[in-house]
Amino acid sequence: MLKGVLEGSVLEIISREETYGYEITRRLNALGFTDVVEGTVYTILLRLEKNKLVETTKKPSDMGPPRKFFMINEAGREELRKFWEKWEFVNSKMSELKERKQ
Amino acid sequence: MNFWDKITGNDMKKEMKAFDARVQKLPADYQTAWKEINAHLWPHTDFTGRNLMPIFDGVLGLLEETAAEGQSVQEVLGDDIKGFCSALAGNEGAKSYRDKWRKQLNDNIAKKLGK
Repeated sequence: MLKGVLEGSVLEIISREETYGYEITRRLNALGFTDVVEGTVYTILLRLEKNKLVETTKKPSDMGPPRKFFMINEAGREELRKFWEKWEFVNSKMSELKERKQ
Repeated sequence: MNFWDKITGNDMKKEMKAFDARVQKLPADYQTAWKEINAHLWPHTDFTGRNLMPIFDGVLGLLEETAAEGQSVQEVLGDDIKGFCSALAGNEGAKSYRDKWRKQLNDNIAKKLGK
């Protein structure tokens, strides 16, 4: 279940500012997704890139090899909008289900 | 790619050698993880293995970046290297029958050709 949610979350984080894998992972960890590791984010980023929802640029870093930065594009914004729409739907239905239980 | 490289896999040998040189520069725990990733990824290969080359290149890039940041390989990949690899190969969930049959056919041919 978490997989689709994570993909939306990563896209949301990218939509706010151009960023890179390590930063995205730390953001998710800080949010409370403590067991999300960089490898997980990496595979999500690959998928976003393959589906042409983000643009990438390589920028040099102070240490090690150049880093890949990600920026959202038009298709990505549209996808993100749909994601939040679906999320709202699931969210409201789940609350409904929980309330009816009692 | 010329015909000779294509049938002998020479181009890939060269690439694998370049990968090895990069792996040598990584910390020991990363090298162990790299071996495990290799073992998990090869089953996802097409007949020649050429489809895996860009994936290997990307993973190695990830390992180089995170090693430079001083993270342990455990922090980067977590416990589920196998899951990481199947996500990489875009092979989530069960293989389709078509994939299975194709693999069977490929295996049979490979066997007949003496690998």
